[in-house]
Amino acid sequence: MSEPLLQVNNLAVSYHGYAGEVKSVRGVTFDVQRGETLAVVGESGCGKSVTAKTIMRLIQTPPAEIKEGSEVLFDGEDVLKFDKKRLAQYRGGEAAIIFQDALAALNPTMTVGKQICENLLHHSKMSKKEAMEKAVDLLRMVGIPQPERRVKQYPHEFSGGMRQRVMIAIAFANSPKLLIADEPTTALDVTIQAQIMDLIKDWQKEQGASVILITHDLGVVANIARRIVVMYAGKIVERGESGVIFRTPRHPYTNALLEAVPRLDLKNKQVLASIEGTPPDLLNPPAGCPFCTRCKYCMEICCQEEPPVVTFEEGHEASCWLYSLEHPCEDAPFTWEGERK
Amino acid sequence: MKTLLYFGRRLLIMLFTLFIIASATFFLLAATPGDALSARVEKLPDVVAERLYAKYGLDRPVLERYVNTMAGLLQGDFGDSIIYEGQTVQSIIQQKGPISARLGIQQMLLGVTAGLLLGVLAAVKKGTIWDYLVVGLSILLISVPNLIFALMLQQIFAGNLGWFPVIGWPKENIWFGGWEYTVLPTLAGCFGYIASYARLLKASMLDVMNQDYILTAESKGLSHGEVIRHHVLRNSFIPIVTQLPMSIAMCITGSFFIESVFSIPGLGLYYVEAVAAQDIPIVMGQTVILSAIYIAVVFITDILYTIVDPRIRIAGGKR
Repeated sequence: MSEPLLQVNNLAVSYHGYAGEVKSVRGVTFDVQRGETLAVVGESGCGKSVTAKTIMRLIQTPPAEIKEGSEVLFDGEDVLKFDKKRLAQYRGGEAAIIFQDALAALNPTMTVGKQICENLLHHSKMSKKEAMEKAVDLLRMVGIPQPERRVKQYPHEFSGGMRQRVMIAIAFANSPKLLIADEPTTALDVTIQAQIMDLIKDWQKEQGASVILITHDLGVVANIARRIVVMYAGKIVERGESGVIFRTPRHPYTNALLEAVPRLDLKNKQVLASIEGTPPDLLNPPAGCPFCTRCKYCMEICCQEEPPVVTFEEGHEASCWLYSLEHPCEDAPFTWEGERK
Repeated sequence: MKTLLYFGRRLLIMLFTLFIIASATFFLLAATPGDALSARVEKLPDVVAERLYAKYGLDRPVLERYVNTMAGLLQGDFGDSIIYEGQTVQSIIQQKGPISARLGIQQMLLGVTAGLLLGVLAAVKKGTIWDYLVVGLSILLISVPNLIFALMLQQIFAGNLGWFPVIGWPKENIWFGGWEYTVLPTLAGCFGYIASYARLLKASMLDVMNQDYILTAESKGLSHGEVIRHHVLRNSFIPIVTQLPMSIAMCITGSFFIESVFSIPGLGLYYVEAVAAQDIPIVMGQTVILSAIYIAVVFITDILYTIVDPRIRIAGGKR
C-alpha cells in the first residue's frame, strides 16, 4: 500500500475554560488512504468536529490547546507545524471542509458567486471574469439550476439543500486532495441527504480524492465509506472496514449504535434501541473505559483500567476488555470468531 | 408600487409623529407656571403690559393659542421670538445653525473615526494589552461628562500652555476659518463618540468573528487580514449604520455645555436659554425642526440598511 494521504498520530486537543481543562480529543490515531472515504462516527460531543477542525488548523489556540506529540501528516508534512504561507496554500487548496449548517457557514452579505471566486482567486492566478465563469461551472456541477442567475444571489435566497450545494461548490473549487465533510447532511431532509451524499461520492470517484465523512448517522455511512472509525469520549473505540463493522461490531458502543439504526430487512420486528445515559464529562475523564457507565456488559476491570486494543483481523480493532484473554467474559455479545451469540 | 405604498405610509407616520411632538411640547410649555413676559411687564403700566400680551397672543385661552400655533406650523410660521425682538426661528437657525453644525461635524468626524479605529484594534488584538487599553479608555471617556473634559482642556492647553484661545469662535469664514478656536471644543466633544463607537464596533466584530462563515473564510486559506477586511468588517458595520445617522442628526443640535464653556454662540446654548425664558415660538420652532430632521434621519437609516444587508428589502419583498 502506498503512503497514506493523511496520517493523524496521537492527536490530543484540550479546551481551557473556566471550569478547567476539557479533554475533547484524547490521543487519536488514524490514517486516510489516497482515494478512499473514511467515516468518523460517534455521538455529539465525542470529539469528531474538533478532530476535523484540527486537521484544517481551524481551531483557535487559545482557548484550545493541541498537545505536544500530536501530529497531522499531510503528504508527509506536519500540518500542525505549517507556517502562515504554507497554511494559506493548504487550506482551500489541498484540503477543504464542508460544515453542517450551510446558512451559518456562508457570509450573508456576499453573493455566492463572490464567495466561490474568493477561493478560486486565492489559489490560482486568473482574472475576476474567469473566476466568475468558473464559479458558474461549479454551481452547474453541483446541480444548481440557472447558475448564471444564481451566482449573483445571496445565501438567504437559496433553500437549505441549495446552500449546502454552494458550500460544496466552494470546497470543490480547487480540486482538493482531501475533503472533510463535517456532518454535511445533518441539517437536511432525507431525500436531499441522499442527493448530497451522491454528489460527494461521484466527485470523489472522478477526482480520486480522499474524503473524511464525519457523522453520527451510521445509515449515511454504509454505502459510501470504505472504512469506519468509531469515536467515543475523545478516543477511537473501534475501527475497521465498513462491511466488517456492520456485520460484526466488536465494541459494545458500536453495537449499540447499530441497534439504533432502522433496518429494512427486519420489517417491523425491530425495536429501535437507545443508549441510556450520557457520555462522560471530559473535564474529568474516567480512569477506565469511557463507555463503562453505559455498557451492558460492564465488568469490574472496565472502570479501573483502560481497555487494551484487540486486533481481530487485518485492520479491525476494538478497545474493549471483553476480548481480553486474561479476563474472559461470559456475557459478551460476540464470540471471538465474531459470531453473534 | 409596493415601494411607493411603503414610502407613503412612512410619510404619514412621520407627519403624525411630528404632530404629537408639537402638541406635547406646546401643552408642556403652556402648563408651566409664568410666561415669557412676566419678568418684563412687572415694572410696566398695566395698559402697556396688556398690549404686549395681546401682541404675542398670550392673552388668549390655551386652546385657541394651540389652534393658532398649529395653523402657523402648517405654513412654516413659528411666530416671532418674545425675548429677542424681531427674530424668528428661521433667522436664528440661519445665524447659529452653521456654528453648531461645524462644531458638531468636526467632533463627529474625529470621534467616529478614532472610535472605529480603536474598535477594530481592540477586536483584532482581543485579550492583549491593546484591548484592555481601549476598553479602559472608553469606560473613562463614557463615564466622565464632557463638561469636565472641556474645563480641563481649557485649563491645560489654553490657560497653562497658551496654545489655543481660551474662548471664542471664528467670526469670518464660519465653515473653514479660525481653526485655532475650534480645536479645544472639538476635542472636548469627540470623546463620547470615541467611547461609544469603539465599544460598539468591538462588540459587533467579536460577534461576527464567532460566526461559522468566518471559519469558512479561513478554510479557503485567506489570511487573517483578508478575513477581517472582506468578511468581518462589512457584517459588523450593520449596528454602526443604525447609530451613525443618529449621531449626524445629533451633531447639528449643538451642545449646551461645550458651547457655554467656550462661549460659542451656537444653537445648543441658545435653545437652553429659550427654554429657560419660556420663549414659546422659538422652543416650538426648534423642537419641530430638529424633530423633523431626526425623523427623516431614521427613515434614511432604514434605507441604508437595505444597502448594507441584502437580507433586508423594503416593503417585505419575497422571502
